[in-house]
Amino acid sequence: MGLRPHRPHLAGVLLALAACRGAGHRQAGPSAIVATDDAGRRVALAAPARRVVSLSPAVTELLFALGAGDRVVGRTHWCDYPPQVSAIPDVGDGLNPNVEAVSARKPDLVVLYRSPMDATAAEQFDRMGVASALVSQDRIEDLARAARLLGALTGRAAAGDSIADALGALLSAPPPFPTSRVAFVVWDNPPMVIGAGSYLDQLATLAGARNVFHDLAAPSATVSLEVIAQRDPDAIVVLSDSGALPSWAHRPEWRTVRAVREGRIISLAGSLFARPSPRAALATAELRRRLEGAR
Amino acid sequence: MKALALGGLAALVLALAVILGPTHVAWADLSTSPVVRDLRVPRALLAFLVGGALAVSGASLQALVRNPLADPFLLGLSGGAGLGAVLAIAGHLSGPWALPLAAFAGALAATALVYRLGLVADAELDPRVLLLAGVAVGAFAGAVMTAIVSLSDAVELRNAFLWLWGGLSGASWLTVLVIAVYLPLPLIVLYASARSLDLLALGEEPARHLGAEVTPVKRRVYLAASALTGAAVAVSGVIGFVGLIVPHLMRFGWGHRHRALLPASFVGGGILLVAADILARVAVAPRELPVGIVTALVGVPLFALLLRRWTT
Repeated sequence: MGLRPHRPHLAGVLLALAACRGAGHRQAGPSAIVATDDAGRRVALAAPARRVVSLSPAVTELLFALGAGDRVVGRTHWCDYPPQVSAIPDVGDGLNPNVEAVSARKPDLVVLYRSPMDATAAEQFDRMGVASALVSQDRIEDLARAARLLGALTGRAAAGDSIADALGALLSAPPPFPTSRVAFVVWDNPPMVIGAGSYLDQLATLAGARNVFHDLAAPSATVSLEVIAQRDPDAIVVLSDSGALPSWAHRPEWRTVRAVREGRIISLAGSLFARPSPRAALATAELRRRLEGAR
Repeated sequence: MKALALGGLAALVLALAVILGPTHVAWADLSTSPVVRDLRVPRALLAFLVGGALAVSGASLQALVRNPLADPFLLGLSGGAGLGAVLAIAGHLSGPWALPLAAFAGALAATALVYRLGLVADAELDPRVLLLAGVAVGAFAGAVMTAIVSLSDAVELRNAFLWLWGGLSGASWLTVLVIAVYLPLPLIVLYASARSLDLLALGEEPARHLGAEVTPVKRRVYLAASALTGAAVAVSGVIGFVGLIVPHLMRFGWGHRHRALLPASFVGGGILLVAADILARVAVAPRELPVGIVTALVGVPLFALLLRRWTT
């Protein structure tokens, strides 16, 4: 697809904030807020967005954290935090969204997850005259950038800056010395683990653990079971909403992995851990506590 | 002599499958290492048995429908098995036993449906109708599967497709036991029908004149070949090309007599899948490729070469 996975340049999001504050005056041009999204597209709004459709769970959560939750008029089927989101109309999937269902919510801003699958939808919103922003949200630093961008677009710049600063502080604090080695297992057959490209790898470092598959650059990858056994993590971390042990933990081939044999499997709740969120500091503390408990 | 060479090759790839792997195991530890004992050995055996089952299934189906294109997957079984698996995942039933069982049930359901459609005019199993029914049922199962997948959770969706590409990561002594218990019966049934398959390959009328009980043989062969495929899909997902290519390869050495062709196909299929699995595990270590992709990458050029020799 046309969208090349280039990183946004160093300055990150270019914000041209006008108006809003007393000194700024409304100019002749219709766009009072102009920003650049993570795909390098210009997003222009006449006034802070009042009707926002969020096409990703992380963005929904972020909008609530910014204090703009009451302006979210549509969300994906998968948005589950905060609990108030259940009252917001569901527009279906976030990836490859149903453009008609989204536009039926009459949004003045649509926020999409930045992926090649969503580039076409963003163009369609452009053609319909609905402002849209493509936002990366794979790592904590992405979320910090998103907080500033969405803060600006919703007229909540101060809140956006403070969330971004808090996330930045979490990232810039020297990580604790790693005292345990973990593997994140996201699927059992074929075995798939989290690599360095994922938010979870970042979270492990912040929580004082080392991901034994940090050498894999991809966010996730299929590996051989014997590699997991040989790298011998102290604990296996899985995402699960039920909190139950995964069924594969009892299978004979998985019992070649010492952490599985010794029952050191940490099950984390998906809604807090499956995506970077403004609650990253909470997630870090929780993971750290769980790792200490497993020792 | 030929048989000896094939047997030697089988022993060689099995030995390589145990020695080679993404992690290093010292020579001295080969007999004691749990990685070798609990992962590599069962995985090599499972690959061999699955490859063999698929190849024998393909060889018999090619004779049955008198079509060199026939293979277990063209006849709709992969679609059925895949649908069973996706249903299990969508219904959160992906436990250690539920997934393979669901795949197996799906394969059997597709078999029954194809078989039913293939029975035209009172128990007359028409090969052409059977093939068409297989393609149709396979396509329908594929469509239902895609519909379910696009309506279900994004993560589960991706994983269902990964499983469908085929893989032997689930190998353990338990899965080897399951398939070792399951294979002998359909294999014996097919081997016992070898002579009838030779006759059937001549056409149904000649076969009937030469004394073959055409209709019961067709039914028996079809069910046994389906059972083999179902068992293979149940433990390892959908692995393509083995059932199509290996029988054609083996006909070069063993001719068209099924008494020789079926055992040769079993060993040949085993060799191909074990070799493909070594590549899948080692080529991009520590990452792993789906073995179904490797069989296609290795098998298709081999097959293209063969076709050229065949047609010139």
